[in-house]
Amino acid sequence: MSDAVATAPPPTEPAQPRRRSRKLDQWIAFGTVPFFFTLFGIVFVPLSWMMPPRSPSSSSSQIVEFMQSHNLLIACAILTLSFGLAPLSNAVYLTQIKRMSVSPVFRYSLMVGAMSGAIVGMLFPMFCFGLGSFRDGYDPAILAMLYDFGYLAYIGSLGCFCVMWMSFGLAIILDKNNVLPKWLGYYTVWQYVTELMAAPVWISTSGPFAWNGLMTFWFAMVIYVPWQIIVYVCIYRSIKNQPDRELENA
Amino acid sequence: MTGVVRSPAGHLGLGRRESPQRNHIPGESSMWFFVIGDLIIFGAYFVAYVYYRGQQPDLFLESQARLNLDIGAANTVVLLTSSLFVALGTSAARSGRTATGVRLFGIALALGAAFPVLKLFEYVPEIVAGVTPGTNLFFMYYFVMTGLHLCHVMLGLVILCFVLRNLRGPAAPKISFVETAATYWHMVDVLWLVLFALLYVMR
Repeated sequence: MSDAVATAPPPTEPAQPRRRSRKLDQWIAFGTVPFFFTLFGIVFVPLSWMMPPRSPSSSSSQIVEFMQSHNLLIACAILTLSFGLAPLSNAVYLTQIKRMSVSPVFRYSLMVGAMSGAIVGMLFPMFCFGLGSFRDGYDPAILAMLYDFGYLAYIGSLGCFCVMWMSFGLAIILDKNNVLPKWLGYYTVWQYVTELMAAPVWISTSGPFAWNGLMTFWFAMVIYVPWQIIVYVCIYRSIKNQPDRELENA
Repeated sequence: MTGVVRSPAGHLGLGRRESPQRNHIPGESSMWFFVIGDLIIFGAYFVAYVYYRGQQPDLFLESQARLNLDIGAANTVVLLTSSLFVALGTSAARSGRTATGVRLFGIALALGAAFPVLKLFEYVPEIVAGVTPGTNLFFMYYFVMTGLHLCHVMLGLVILCFVLRNLRGPAAPKISFVETAATYWHMVDVLWLVLFALLYVMR
Protein backbone atom coordinates (compact mmCIF):
# COMPACT_ATOMS: atom_id res chain seq x y z
CA MET A 1 0.00 0.00 0.00
CA SER A 2 2.93 2.30 0.70
CA ASP A 3 3.84 1.92 -3.01
CA ALA A 4 1.16 4.36 -3.92
CA VAL A 5 2.86 7.03 -1.86
CA ALA A 6 6.32 6.22 -3.20
CA THR A 7 7.86 8.21 -6.03
CA ALA A 8 8.29 7.41 -9.70
CA PRO A 9 11.07 4.74 -9.97
CA PRO A 10 9.73 1.87 -7.78
CA PRO A 11 6.39 1.02 -9.54
CA THR A 12 8.01 -1.26 -12.15
CA GLU A 13 9.49 -3.52 -9.48
CA PRO A 14 6.53 -4.35 -7.24
CA ALA A 15 4.29 -4.59 -10.31
CA GLN A 16 6.03 -7.83 -11.31
CA PRO A 17 4.90 -10.15 -8.48
CA ARG A 18 1.55 -8.41 -8.24
CA ARG A 19 0.72 -8.92 -11.88
CA ARG A 20 0.96 -12.68 -11.55
CA SER A 21 -1.34 -12.88 -8.60
CA ARG A 22 -3.83 -10.48 -10.13
CA LYS A 23 -4.72 -12.95 -12.87
CA LEU A 24 -4.67 -15.88 -10.46
CA ASP A 25 -8.46 -16.09 -10.36
CA GLN A 26 -8.62 -16.47 -14.11
CA TRP A 27 -5.78 -18.99 -14.18
CA ILE A 28 -7.38 -21.17 -11.52
CA ALA A 29 -10.69 -21.21 -13.36
CA PHE A 30 -8.80 -21.81 -16.60
CA GLY A 31 -6.98 -24.78 -15.04
CA THR A 32 -10.25 -26.51 -14.24
CA VAL A 33 -11.18 -26.65 -17.94
CA PRO A 34 -8.83 -29.48 -19.00
CA PHE A 35 -9.58 -31.32 -15.77
CA PHE A 36 -13.30 -31.09 -16.46
CA PHE A 37 -13.05 -32.18 -20.07
CA THR A 38 -10.70 -35.06 -19.29
CA LEU A 39 -13.10 -36.28 -16.63
CA PHE A 40 -15.91 -35.79 -19.10
CA GLY A 41 -14.14 -37.94 -21.68
CA ILE A 42 -13.21 -40.71 -19.26
CA VAL A 43 -16.69 -40.97 -17.80
CA PHE A 44 -18.48 -40.86 -21.14
CA VAL A 45 -16.31 -43.24 -23.08
CA PRO A 46 -14.40 -45.96 -21.20
CA LEU A 47 -16.38 -45.94 -17.96
CA SER A 48 -19.95 -46.08 -19.18
CA TRP A 49 -19.75 -46.32 -22.99
CA MET A 50 -22.52 -43.72 -23.25
CA MET A 51 -20.45 -42.28 -26.06
CA PRO A 52 -20.19 -42.90 -28.93
CA PRO A 53 -23.99 -42.99 -28.78
CA ARG A 54 -25.67 -46.35 -28.92
CA SER A 55 -28.04 -47.02 -31.76
CA PRO A 56 -31.58 -45.64 -31.52
CA SER A 57 -32.77 -48.92 -32.97
CA SER A 58 -31.14 -51.10 -30.27
CA SER A 59 -33.17 -54.11 -29.16
CA SER A 60 -35.00 -54.03 -25.87
CA SER A 61 -32.54 -56.42 -24.20
CA GLN A 62 -29.57 -54.28 -25.29
CA ILE A 63 -31.22 -51.20 -23.85
CA VAL A 64 -31.99 -52.95 -20.55
CA GLU A 65 -28.42 -54.23 -20.30
CA PHE A 66 -27.01 -50.75 -20.87
CA MET A 67 -29.45 -48.85 -18.70
CA GLN A 68 -29.07 -51.20 -15.73
CA SER A 69 -25.28 -51.32 -15.68
CA HIS A 70 -23.56 -50.36 -12.47
CA ASN A 71 -20.90 -48.28 -14.22
CA LEU A 72 -23.59 -46.11 -15.74
CA LEU A 73 -24.82 -45.16 -12.28
CA ILE A 74 -21.29 -44.30 -11.16
CA ALA A 75 -20.71 -42.29 -14.33
CA CYS A 76 -23.90 -40.30 -13.86
CA ALA A 77 -23.09 -39.62 -10.22
CA ILE A 78 -19.60 -38.36 -11.13
CA LEU A 79 -20.96 -36.15 -13.88
CA THR A 80 -23.75 -34.61 -11.84
CA LEU A 81 -21.15 -33.88 -9.16
CA SER A 82 -18.54 -32.36 -11.47
CA PHE A 83 -21.16 -30.59 -13.54
CA GLY A 84 -20.46 -27.46 -11.48
CA LEU A 85 -17.14 -27.09 -13.27
CA ALA A 86 -18.91 -26.20 -16.52
CA PRO A 87 -19.90 -22.73 -15.22
CA LEU A 88 -16.25 -22.16 -14.28
CA SER A 89 -15.04 -22.75 -17.82
CA ASN A 90 -17.79 -20.53 -19.16
CA ALA A 91 -16.78 -17.86 -16.65
CA VAL A 92 -13.26 -17.84 -18.09
CA TYR A 93 -14.60 -17.41 -21.62
CA LEU A 94 -17.07 -14.73 -20.54
CA THR A 95 -14.38 -12.73 -18.74
CA GLN A 96 -12.54 -12.47 -22.04
CA ILE A 97 -15.68 -11.80 -24.08
CA LYS A 98 -16.42 -8.90 -21.77
CA ARG A 99 -13.30 -7.19 -23.11
CA MET A 100 -14.67 -7.23 -26.65
CA SER A 101 -16.03 -4.10 -28.25
CA VAL A 102 -19.44 -5.69 -28.86
CA SER A 103 -22.90 -5.27 -27.41
CA PRO A 104 -23.40 -6.97 -24.02
CA VAL A 105 -26.34 -8.79 -25.63
CA PHE A 106 -23.84 -11.27 -27.08
CA ARG A 107 -22.33 -11.98 -23.70
CA TYR A 108 -25.66 -12.44 -21.96
CA SER A 109 -27.01 -14.63 -24.77
CA LEU A 110 -23.92 -16.78 -24.51
CA MET A 111 -24.26 -16.99 -20.74
CA VAL A 112 -27.91 -17.98 -20.76
CA GLY A 113 -27.46 -20.22 -23.79
CA ALA A 114 -24.64 -22.08 -22.05
CA MET A 115 -26.66 -22.44 -18.86
CA SER A 116 -29.84 -23.69 -20.45
CA GLY A 117 -27.82 -25.82 -22.87
CA ALA A 118 -26.01 -27.51 -20.02
CA ILE A 119 -29.28 -28.23 -18.25
CA VAL A 120 -30.92 -29.81 -21.29
CA GLY A 121 -27.81 -31.26 -22.87
CA MET A 122 -26.13 -32.61 -19.76
CA LEU A 123 -28.33 -32.71 -16.68
CA PHE A 124 -31.34 -34.18 -18.46
CA PRO A 125 -29.40 -37.12 -19.94
CA MET A 126 -27.54 -37.69 -16.68
CA PHE A 127 -30.79 -37.93 -14.77
CA CYS A 128 -32.33 -40.21 -17.40
CA PHE A 129 -29.41 -42.61 -17.50
CA GLY A 130 -28.80 -42.38 -13.77
CA LEU A 131 -32.44 -43.03 -13.03
CA GLY A 132 -32.47 -46.06 -15.31
CA SER A 133 -29.58 -47.64 -13.44
CA PHE A 134 -30.75 -46.55 -9.98
CA ARG A 135 -33.08 -49.46 -9.24
CA ASP A 136 -33.25 -53.00 -10.60
CA GLY A 137 -36.31 -54.35 -12.30
CA TYR A 138 -37.71 -51.34 -14.11
CA ASP A 139 -40.08 -52.20 -16.93
CA PRO A 140 -38.07 -52.45 -20.23
CA ALA A 141 -40.54 -50.08 -21.89
CA ILE A 142 -39.79 -47.42 -19.28
CA LEU A 143 -36.07 -47.98 -19.71
CA ALA A 144 -36.42 -47.62 -23.49
CA MET A 145 -38.17 -44.32 -23.01
CA LEU A 146 -35.51 -43.04 -20.60
CA TYR A 147 -32.88 -44.19 -23.10
CA ASP A 148 -34.53 -42.19 -25.89
CA PHE A 149 -35.03 -39.21 -23.62
CA GLY A 150 -31.40 -39.28 -22.54
CA TYR A 151 -29.92 -39.45 -26.04
CA LEU A 152 -32.39 -37.03 -27.59
CA ALA A 153 -31.67 -34.49 -24.88
CA TYR A 154 -27.94 -35.03 -25.26
CA ILE A 155 -27.67 -34.83 -29.07
CA GLY A 156 -30.89 -33.01 -29.90
CA SER A 157 -30.60 -30.08 -27.46
CA LEU A 158 -30.29 -27.67 -30.33
CA GLY A 159 -31.69 -24.21 -29.73
CA CYS A 160 -29.68 -23.18 -26.68
CA PHE A 161 -26.42 -24.24 -28.27
CA CYS A 162 -27.35 -22.54 -31.56
CA VAL A 163 -27.75 -19.25 -29.72
CA MET A 164 -24.62 -19.86 -27.72
CA TRP A 165 -22.33 -20.63 -30.69
CA MET A 166 -23.81 -17.88 -32.81
CA SER A 167 -23.36 -15.20 -30.19
CA PHE A 168 -19.84 -16.42 -29.42
CA GLY A 169 -18.92 -16.51 -33.13
CA LEU A 170 -20.47 -13.15 -33.94
CA ALA A 171 -18.90 -11.50 -30.90
CA ILE A 172 -15.46 -12.65 -32.07
CA ILE A 173 -16.06 -11.56 -35.68
CA LEU A 174 -17.50 -8.14 -34.81
CA ASP A 175 -15.02 -7.39 -32.03
CA LYS A 176 -12.57 -4.59 -32.81
CA ASN A 177 -10.26 -5.16 -29.83
CA ASN A 178 -8.88 -8.41 -31.29
CA VAL A 179 -9.39 -10.30 -28.05
CA LEU A 180 -9.69 -13.58 -29.97
CA PRO A 181 -8.59 -14.24 -33.57
CA LYS A 182 -11.18 -13.64 -36.29
CA TRP A 183 -10.84 -17.09 -37.83
CA LEU A 184 -11.89 -18.57 -34.49
CA GLY A 185 -15.13 -16.67 -34.91
CA TYR A 186 -15.72 -18.35 -38.24
CA TYR A 187 -14.79 -21.71 -36.75
CA THR A 188 -17.39 -21.11 -34.05
CA VAL A 189 -19.99 -20.43 -36.73
CA TRP A 190 -19.41 -24.01 -37.95
CA GLN A 191 -20.29 -25.20 -34.48
CA TYR A 192 -23.61 -23.52 -35.05
CA VAL A 193 -23.97 -25.32 -38.36
CA THR A 194 -23.34 -28.69 -36.70
CA GLU A 195 -26.19 -27.95 -34.30
CA LEU A 196 -28.45 -27.30 -37.30
CA MET A 197 -27.26 -30.58 -38.78
CA ALA A 198 -28.28 -32.39 -35.60
CA ALA A 199 -31.94 -31.42 -35.98
CA PRO A 200 -32.82 -34.58 -37.99
CA VAL A 201 -32.15 -36.78 -34.93
CA TRP A 202 -35.76 -36.00 -34.06
CA ILE A 203 -36.86 -37.66 -37.31
CA SER A 204 -34.41 -40.47 -38.10
CA THR A 205 -34.05 -43.62 -36.06
CA SER A 206 -31.31 -45.17 -38.20
CA GLY A 207 -28.78 -44.25 -40.85
CA PRO A 208 -26.52 -41.19 -41.15
CA PHE A 209 -29.04 -38.76 -39.62
CA ALA A 210 -29.86 -40.79 -36.51
CA TRP A 211 -28.36 -39.61 -33.20
CA ASN A 212 -25.39 -41.95 -33.67
CA GLY A 213 -25.13 -41.16 -37.39
CA LEU A 214 -22.24 -39.99 -39.53
CA MET A 215 -23.82 -36.66 -40.42
CA THR A 216 -25.27 -35.72 -37.06
CA PHE A 217 -22.75 -37.10 -34.58
CA TRP A 218 -19.41 -38.01 -36.15
CA PHE A 219 -18.94 -34.95 -38.36
CA ALA A 220 -19.99 -32.76 -35.45
CA MET A 221 -17.40 -34.43 -33.23
CA VAL A 222 -14.68 -33.96 -35.85
CA ILE A 223 -15.42 -30.24 -35.73
CA TYR A 224 -16.12 -29.95 -32.02
CA VAL A 225 -13.15 -31.71 -30.42
CA PRO A 226 -10.44 -29.63 -32.17
CA TRP A 227 -12.57 -26.52 -31.57
CA GLN A 228 -12.57 -27.12 -27.83
CA ILE A 229 -8.79 -27.50 -27.79
CA ILE A 230 -8.21 -24.48 -30.05
CA VAL A 231 -10.50 -22.26 -27.98
CA TYR A 232 -8.56 -23.33 -24.90
CA VAL A 233 -5.27 -22.28 -26.48
CA CYS A 234 -6.74 -19.01 -27.80
CA ILE A 235 -8.24 -18.15 -24.40
CA TYR A 236 -4.88 -18.89 -22.80
CA ARG A 237 -3.20 -16.38 -25.10
CA SER A 238 -5.98 -13.90 -24.57
CA ILE A 239 -5.65 -14.02 -20.76
CA LYS A 240 -1.88 -13.78 -21.09
CA ASN A 241 -2.13 -10.72 -23.32
CA GLN A 242 -4.77 -9.01 -21.22
CA PRO A 243 -3.30 -5.73 -19.97
CA ASP A 244 -3.46 -5.18 -16.22
CA ARG A 245 -5.52 -2.03 -16.57
CA GLU A 246 -8.35 -4.12 -18.06
CA LEU A 247 -8.54 -6.41 -15.05
CA GLU A 248 -11.69 -5.94 -13.03
CA ASN A 249 -10.30 -7.18 -9.73
CA ALA A 250 -7.61 -4.50 -9.48
CA MET B 1 -6.00 -4.24 -47.37
CA THR B 2 -5.56 -3.00 -50.91
CA GLY B 3 -4.53 0.40 -49.68
CA VAL B 4 -1.79 -1.13 -47.61
CA VAL B 5 -0.62 -3.41 -50.35
CA ARG B 6 -0.67 -0.80 -53.06
CA SER B 7 1.33 1.82 -51.23
CA PRO B 8 4.70 0.01 -51.44
CA ALA B 9 4.21 -0.27 -55.20
CA GLY B 10 3.95 3.48 -55.32
CA HIS B 11 7.24 3.78 -53.49
CA LEU B 12 9.12 1.09 -55.34
CA GLY B 13 7.69 2.08 -58.68
CA LEU B 14 9.94 0.50 -61.22
CA GLY B 15 9.14 -2.86 -62.71
CA ARG B 16 7.09 -4.12 -59.74
CA ARG B 17 3.82 -2.47 -60.69
CA GLU B 18 2.11 -5.78 -61.39
CA SER B 19 3.34 -7.90 -58.50
CA PRO B 20 1.33 -6.42 -55.60
CA GLN B 21 -1.89 -7.12 -57.48
CA ARG B 22 -0.77 -10.62 -58.25
CA ASN B 23 0.36 -11.44 -54.72
CA HIS B 24 -2.60 -9.79 -53.14
CA ILE B 25 -5.21 -12.07 -51.57
CA PRO B 26 -8.61 -10.47 -52.12
CA GLY B 27 -10.53 -9.73 -48.96
CA GLU B 28 -9.65 -10.64 -45.39
CA SER B 29 -7.59 -13.76 -44.82
CA SER B 30 -9.96 -14.95 -42.10
CA MET B 31 -12.70 -15.17 -44.73
CA TRP B 32 -10.46 -17.44 -46.75
CA PHE B 33 -10.07 -19.61 -43.67
CA PHE B 34 -13.85 -19.78 -43.50
CA VAL B 35 -14.29 -20.47 -47.23
CA ILE B 36 -11.72 -23.26 -47.34
CA GLY B 37 -13.03 -24.82 -44.14
CA ASP B 38 -16.62 -24.57 -45.33
CA LEU B 39 -15.70 -26.23 -48.61
CA ILE B 40 -13.97 -29.04 -46.69
CA ILE B 41 -17.02 -29.53 -44.46
CA PHE B 42 -19.41 -29.56 -47.41
CA GLY B 43 -16.95 -31.79 -49.24
CA ALA B 44 -17.23 -34.32 -46.40
CA TYR B 45 -21.03 -34.09 -46.58
CA PHE B 46 -20.91 -34.66 -50.34
CA VAL B 47 -18.67 -37.70 -49.99
CA ALA B 48 -21.04 -39.10 -47.35
CA TYR B 49 -23.98 -38.46 -49.66
CA VAL B 50 -22.34 -40.27 -52.55
CA TYR B 51 -21.49 -43.17 -50.24
CA TYR B 52 -25.07 -43.58 -49.01
CA ARG B 53 -26.34 -43.11 -52.54
CA GLY B 54 -24.19 -46.04 -53.57
CA GLN B 55 -25.89 -48.17 -50.90
CA GLN B 56 -29.40 -47.60 -52.26
CA PRO B 57 -29.00 -46.40 -55.86
CA ASP B 58 -32.57 -47.25 -56.91
CA LEU B 59 -34.21 -45.40 -54.04
CA PHE B 60 -32.06 -42.32 -54.67
CA LEU B 61 -32.74 -42.32 -58.44
CA GLU B 62 -36.48 -42.76 -57.94
CA SER B 63 -36.65 -39.98 -55.39
CA GLN B 64 -34.43 -37.73 -57.46
CA ALA B 65 -36.91 -37.97 -60.34
CA ARG B 66 -39.50 -36.32 -58.10
CA LEU B 67 -37.46 -33.12 -57.72
CA ASN B 68 -38.36 -30.04 -59.70
CA LEU B 69 -35.42 -29.84 -62.11
CA ASP B 70 -36.73 -26.67 -63.79
CA ILE B 71 -36.66 -24.59 -60.63
CA GLY B 72 -33.28 -26.08 -59.76
CA ALA B 73 -31.89 -25.05 -63.15
CA ALA B 74 -33.47 -21.60 -62.87
CA ASN B 75 -31.85 -21.17 -59.48
CA THR B 76 -28.49 -22.16 -60.92
CA VAL B 77 -28.80 -19.50 -63.62
CA VAL B 78 -29.97 -16.91 -61.07
CA LEU B 79 -27.06 -17.59 -58.74
CA LEU B 80 -24.44 -17.70 -61.49
CA THR B 81 -25.67 -14.42 -62.97
CA SER B 82 -25.71 -12.87 -59.53
CA SER B 83 -22.12 -13.99 -59.04
CA LEU B 84 -21.16 -12.43 -62.35
CA PHE B 85 -22.61 -9.10 -61.24
CA VAL B 86 -20.79 -9.37 -57.91
CA ALA B 87 -17.53 -9.88 -59.82
CA LEU B 88 -18.26 -6.91 -62.11
CA GLY B 89 -19.30 -4.79 -59.13
CA THR B 90 -16.10 -5.64 -57.27
CA SER B 91 -13.95 -4.69 -60.21
CA ALA B 92 -15.93 -1.44 -60.60
CA ALA B 93 -15.46 -0.64 -56.90
CA ARG B 94 -11.75 -1.41 -57.15
CA SER B 95 -11.26 0.99 -60.03
CA GLY B 96 -13.10 3.73 -58.17
CA ARG B 97 -16.34 3.66 -60.16
CA THR B 98 -18.43 3.50 -57.00
CA ALA B 99 -21.76 4.49 -58.60
CA THR B 100 -21.45 1.69 -61.15
CA GLY B 101 -20.45 -0.66 -58.35
CA VAL B 102 -23.61 0.22 -56.42
CA ARG B 103 -25.74 -0.48 -59.48
CA LEU B 104 -24.03 -3.81 -60.20
CA PHE B 105 -24.24 -4.95 -56.59
CA GLY B 106 -27.89 -3.91 -56.56
CA ILE B 107 -28.58 -6.21 -59.51
CA ALA B 108 -26.58 -8.99 -57.83
CA LEU B 109 -28.63 -8.58 -54.65
CA ALA B 110 -31.93 -8.65 -56.56
CA LEU B 111 -30.91 -11.84 -58.36
CA GLY B 112 -29.66 -13.36 -55.13
CA ALA B 113 -32.95 -12.53 -53.44
CA ALA B 114 -34.77 -14.43 -56.18
CA PHE B 115 -33.04 -17.62 -55.04
CA PRO B 116 -34.93 -18.10 -51.73
CA VAL B 117 -38.19 -17.11 -53.42
CA LEU B 118 -37.72 -19.79 -56.08
CA LYS B 119 -36.70 -22.23 -53.35
CA LEU B 120 -39.99 -21.50 -51.61
CA PHE B 121 -41.85 -22.38 -54.81
CA GLU B 122 -39.90 -25.62 -54.83
CA TYR B 123 -40.24 -26.60 -51.17
CA VAL B 124 -43.90 -25.74 -50.57
CA PRO B 125 -45.47 -27.98 -53.26
CA GLU B 126 -43.17 -30.83 -52.16
CA ILE B 127 -44.13 -30.51 -48.52
CA VAL B 128 -47.82 -30.13 -49.40
CA ALA B 129 -47.53 -33.34 -51.46
CA GLY B 130 -46.23 -35.07 -48.33
CA VAL B 131 -42.55 -35.18 -49.30
CA THR B 132 -40.62 -34.29 -46.14
CA PRO B 133 -37.21 -35.08 -44.63
CA GLY B 134 -38.81 -38.13 -43.01
CA THR B 135 -39.84 -39.63 -46.36
CA ASN B 136 -36.54 -41.36 -47.05
CA LEU B 137 -32.79 -40.85 -46.86
CA PHE B 138 -32.61 -39.04 -50.19
CA PHE B 139 -35.11 -36.41 -49.12
CA MET B 140 -33.42 -36.08 -45.75
CA TYR B 141 -30.19 -35.28 -47.58
CA TYR B 142 -32.04 -33.06 -50.01
CA PHE B 143 -33.73 -30.92 -47.34
CA VAL B 144 -30.76 -30.79 -44.99
CA MET B 145 -28.18 -29.90 -47.65
CA THR B 146 -30.31 -27.43 -49.60
CA GLY B 147 -31.56 -25.97 -46.31
CA LEU B 148 -28.02 -25.51 -45.07
CA HIS B 149 -27.10 -23.92 -48.38
CA LEU B 150 -30.16 -21.68 -48.15
CA CYS B 151 -28.89 -20.45 -44.76
CA HIS B 152 -25.63 -19.56 -46.50
CA VAL B 153 -27.56 -17.68 -49.21
CA MET B 154 -29.56 -15.73 -46.62
CA LEU B 155 -26.38 -14.76 -44.80
CA GLY B 156 -24.88 -13.80 -48.17
CA LEU B 157 -27.83 -11.52 -48.90
CA VAL B 158 -27.31 -9.76 -45.56
CA ILE B 159 -23.62 -9.34 -46.40
CA LEU B 160 -24.48 -7.93 -49.85
CA CYS B 161 -26.74 -5.36 -48.16
CA PHE B 162 -23.78 -4.30 -46.03
CA VAL B 163 -21.66 -4.01 -49.17
CA LEU B 164 -24.24 -1.64 -50.67
CA ARG B 165 -24.27 0.39 -47.47
CA ASN B 166 -20.47 0.45 -47.53
CA LEU B 167 -20.40 1.64 -51.16
CA ARG B 168 -23.13 4.25 -50.72
CA GLY B 169 -21.83 5.58 -47.42
CA PRO B 170 -20.33 9.03 -47.12
CA ALA B 171 -16.87 7.63 -46.35
CA ALA B 172 -14.64 6.10 -49.01
CA PRO B 173 -15.73 2.47 -49.56
CA LYS B 174 -13.68 -0.24 -47.87
CA ILE B 175 -12.55 -2.34 -50.83
CA SER B 176 -11.30 -5.20 -48.66
CA PHE B 177 -14.82 -5.64 -47.29
CA VAL B 178 -16.26 -5.68 -50.82
CA GLU B 179 -13.74 -8.35 -51.75
CA THR B 180 -14.47 -10.37 -48.62
CA ALA B 181 -18.18 -10.32 -49.41
CA ALA B 182 -17.55 -11.25 -53.04
CA THR B 183 -15.39 -14.19 -51.94
CA TYR B 184 -18.18 -15.44 -49.72
CA TRP B 185 -20.80 -15.04 -52.44
CA HIS B 186 -18.71 -16.97 -54.95
CA MET B 187 -18.33 -19.77 -52.41
CA VAL B 188 -22.13 -19.95 -52.02
CA ASP B 189 -22.27 -20.21 -55.79
CA VAL B 190 -19.71 -23.01 -56.01
CA LEU B 191 -21.50 -24.97 -53.29
CA TRP B 192 -24.77 -24.70 -55.17
CA LEU B 193 -23.17 -25.93 -58.40
CA VAL B 194 -21.98 -29.10 -56.66
CA LEU B 195 -25.27 -29.50 -54.79
CA PHE B 196 -27.25 -29.10 -57.99
CA ALA B 197 -25.09 -31.64 -59.77
CA LEU B 198 -25.27 -34.19 -56.94
CA LEU B 199 -28.91 -33.86 -55.95
CA TYR B 200 -30.70 -32.98 -59.17
CA VAL B 201 -28.61 -34.08 -62.12
CA MET B 202 -26.43 -37.08 -61.18
CA ARG B 203 -27.82 -40.26 -62.72
